Amino acid sequence: MKNNLADRRAERHWTQADLAAALGVSRQTVISIEREKFDPSLPLAFQIARTFDCRIEDIFIAD
Amino acid sequence: MSKASFTSRRAPAHHYIQALILGVILTLAVSVAVGASNPDDFWLAAAIGALCAAYPAMSLGGKVFVSNHTVTRDPHGEQSVELQWMRQAGAGAFLDVLVVIVVASLVLVIGRFEIDALPVLLGLVALSAVDAGLRYVAIRYRALK
Repeated sequence: MKNNLADRRAERHWTQADLAAALGVSRQTVISIEREKFDPSLPLAFQIARTFDCRIEDIFIAD
Repeated sequence: MSKASFTSRRAPAHHYIQALILGVILTLAVSVAVGASNPDDFWLAAAIGALCAAYPAMSLGGKVFVSNHTVTRDPHGEQSVELQWMRQAGAGAFLDVLVVIVVASLVLVIGRFEIDALPVLLGLVALSAVDAGLRYVAIRYRALK
């Protein structure tokens, strides 16, 4: 699943570690999502959307 | 399955005593049962049964009465990529061990070899642990490179 998480994170000048801390997951999890090697669970996707004040489909785009 | 971490907190003293009591009761129960199954050597069998049961029984006591105070669960552990890596590594290791067992069984049957079971079982335990560990490292490396 494609996503623009890295762009959104960069807009806020957050590091991957900052985002990982905000989401309560490991930095490897953020790296894997940004590289589109790991599709987050639905609760985590909702949490990511809440963190960036947008909808899930604004961040994640189905292939 | 979620990740857990130990804390420096301690449980109230009476919880440790309750854990110990539960462990002793379970150990004695297993010991008597094992001894009763070997009436000719009751005490020897009971002692061996006690030795085997003591550690898991004490661990169960700790799990029931102590760990709620000393271990915290990571509420987001299920959502981390590490859990997926662990599952993939475990599944791969299981298939590897299965293939090894099938091939080794065929070799033993065809070659009519006879070997002791204990070293083979210990070898399988070591193989599965090392295999899962190596697979985890490889999966992690591929994902992060």
